[in-house]
Amino acid sequence: MLVEFELIKRAQEGDGAAFNQLVLAYRKRILGTIARLIGHPEDVEDVGQEVFLRLYFSLDQLRSAEVFEPWLYRLTSNAAYDYLRKRRRRMESRMADLSEQQVVMADALASEKVDRDEGRRKGIREAVDSLLDGVSEEDRILLTLKEVEGLSLKELGTIYHVKENALKVRLFRARQRVLKAFATARKRSVGTSGPRQ
Amino acid sequence: MGHDKMDHDNMGSDETRLNALFAAYRDACPDPEPSANFMPQLWQKIEAREQTSTVFGRLARNLVTAALALSGILGLAVSLSHSSMASLPSESYVEVLAEDQARESLDYFEPVRIEPAADQH
Repeated sequence: MLVEFELIKRAQEGDGAAFNQLVLAYRKRILGTIARLIGHPEDVEDVGQEVFLRLYFSLDQLRSAEVFEPWLYRLTSNAAYDYLRKRRRRMESRMADLSEQQVVMADALASEKVDRDEGRRKGIREAVDSLLDGVSEEDRILLTLKEVEGLSLKELGTIYHVKENALKVRLFRARQRVLKAFATARKRSVGTSGPRQ
Repeated sequence: MGHDKMDHDNMGSDETRLNALFAAYRDACPDPEPSANFMPQLWQKIEAREQTSTVFGRLARNLVTAALALSGILGLAVSLSHSSMASLPSESYVEVLAEDQARESLDYFEPVRIEPAADQH
């Protein structure tokens, strides 16, 4: 926990200063999670503000301060989910449609050949974003929280109130879909960049 | 057999590459520094939503009050119409019509008595 339970309780009682402190303590972490969930840096602050807005108006529904963090994660994934649904653009833009450059970038990254300048970071973001566009918004969020954020199945179960086994099955299927798309794109990239006769 | 092994190896290699890609994605999206406007904008949004909910709350209260007033007026109108109906004749329309008919019949068909003139005696 980044804050004392007492601060959460004060914020629940309508103390604006306590709420302000709560946001200041968590905003950077939440913005980071949102950035990785949605993959579009330009919209991260908007979605982040939406999370804290929802927090402000629903804080009185929080049963106890102990479950504050999983609850904040749930609000975060809900806001990211709403954003992704609204932005359900480029549905056809799955990994198979990635530009050759993006595929080469993804491949180069996997073999750790790249240095990390901003242009390449952008390439990585776009590649993963396109890869994750191939699964539903729900699976995208689950997969990102597990594979990128590093949350455990137990933590995910606490956030979503879902049994670990059900989560495991869902994550496995989502990962298999992404893996298949990734492999297809790699093959295509190898095929197009191979020696010409 | 050889193909199976190759597919399996490729799959393993893709798994590893995908894990590396996810890890690189984590690094490519570091926790961003919030802008200076983050908190002021957040409070603006909170206040705007509070105002909206206040306006809606007021509107809802006004609607409830108007509905109560309207139902009061309607209740009053109904009770007034009941009291004015009480002063009306209790007979039905057909009974009233029949009574009128009888009166009219009397008016028109009552035998006319002709008194003998007094000066004839």
